Amino acid sequence: MKISIENLTKKYQDKIILDQLTLNIPDHKIIAFLGPSGSGKSTLLRLIAGLETFESGKIQLNDHIINESTKNLESYRKEIGFVFQDHNLFDHLTVFENISLVLEKVHHLSKNNYEPMVIQKLKDFNLFEHKDKYPHQLSGGQAQRVSIVRALSIQPRLILLDEPTSSLDPILTYDVLNAVIRLATDSKDFIIVTHEIGFAKKIANYIVYMEDGKIVEHGPKSILEDPKTESFKNFLSKVLPFHQ
Amino acid sequence: MKKKISLLIALTIYFLFYVFVALRFNSGKLEFESFWLFRNVIFEGWINTISISLVAIVLSLFVGLILYAMHESRFNVLKYLAEIHKTIIFGTPLLVLAIIAFYYIGFAFNVNSEFIVGSITLALYIGAYIADIYKGAIESIHINQWQSAKMFGFTKYQTYRYIIFPQVIKSILPPLAGQFALTIKGSALLAYMSMNELLNAVTNVQANSFRYTEGFIIMTVGYWIITVPLITFVRKLENKSNYRM
Repeated sequence: MKISIENLTKKYQDKIILDQLTLNIPDHKIIAFLGPSGSGKSTLLRLIAGLETFESGKIQLNDHIINESTKNLESYRKEIGFVFQDHNLFDHLTVFENISLVLEKVHHLSKNNYEPMVIQKLKDFNLFEHKDKYPHQLSGGQAQRVSIVRALSIQPRLILLDEPTSSLDPILTYDVLNAVIRLATDSKDFIIVTHEIGFAKKIANYIVYMEDGKIVEHGPKSILEDPKTESFKNFLSKVLPFHQ
Repeated sequence: MKKKISLLIALTIYFLFYVFVALRFNSGKLEFESFWLFRNVIFEGWINTISISLVAIVLSLFVGLILYAMHESRFNVLKYLAEIHKTIIFGTPLLVLAIIAFYYIGFAFNVNSEFIVGSITLALYIGAYIADIYKGAIESIHINQWQSAKMFGFTKYQTYRYIIFPQVIKSILPPLAGQFALTIKGSALLAYMSMNELLNAVTNVQANSFRYTEGFIIMTVGYWIITVPLITFVRKLENKSNYRM
């Protein structure tokens, strides 16, 4: 997947979150956005997802262009799988219904069409025995895995993951990261916003490091071994010791 | 079993209290004969109370929905219209509204059916409260539910129909039950439109027979027969819709 971003600016009220951002990423399967909290990486992901509008600039994903005047993003969003920080499952629906509702109502598939696929995916992610449980009966890790299956089941052309492990304890984090690795072997393109540098190192082909709404450094994952800027060095030196 | 005994004791305490009060007034003799004589009139009034309340309840659910939609609308005029309506309703006693609605507004528009004016007045009154019940319940839905719906491409209607409504139903039922009961009780004030409902029918018999205590007993029981099953029914629905149980 190729990403090209030009002069992207996003404000919340008067606060500038993304400041004239420009970024060109050649064809890569798995891209990881790193950066401290408040660096704007989650916001950037939401703009790429078409969840929010922006003030000025342009985002191009392969051949699809979004700019500030794009009003109707509904059909665009339907082709993107998104995994939120806090799973965001529908509270009143079971695991199976959480997935089937989207396929039935938005993608107009019949039960015969999607059921075998959904059951297979639930089995792949060790969730089959939980299919009739409600979100509040699941552990955080299980819920997040359901959320990944839900994103995957719409056959998206791209999956976006917004810090999928940030609200989980280490054991559950391990659980979810394993599920994400399975995604990678599923040959889907995806972008992940994460704090888990070790993890990014393991799966990502391309790394983008952000700070204060700007892109500080980006390149193939080898930049993790050899950061050029002081701030990225600093960030890695603070985080890495705990991941080795 | 233990629960049943407790309920029985609680009921007995209330019963004794009412018997005490009634005896103080009536020196022990209750006489229902004149009410039996006019049983058709009273029954007709009771049926009128039920039908006007039912119509008003159904209408008020829609009035609430319309007021909520106006409140959420992008058009400020609609927003203010809803806001002003609610302010008037919240600030005026139902009795005053009933009189103004029938003798002034009804007259101005040449509508002199007590049933029509009465049910619409009740619906507009209760609907204002119901709009706030909807609002509170919908706002209590976590933002991530809306976000997910948006991300997966649900339309606005689908979001309300499949995601928001099933989640709010369990939290709106208890306050709605209260409003339904209020509607039924509020219909008593339509007696002031000289509508022939339960209160009016019984009052007429009281005035002729001077049997006031008996009249009030009949009235109270008459309302209970409607409200208690209704409240019980809504509680049952509430348990059914609770997916967290």
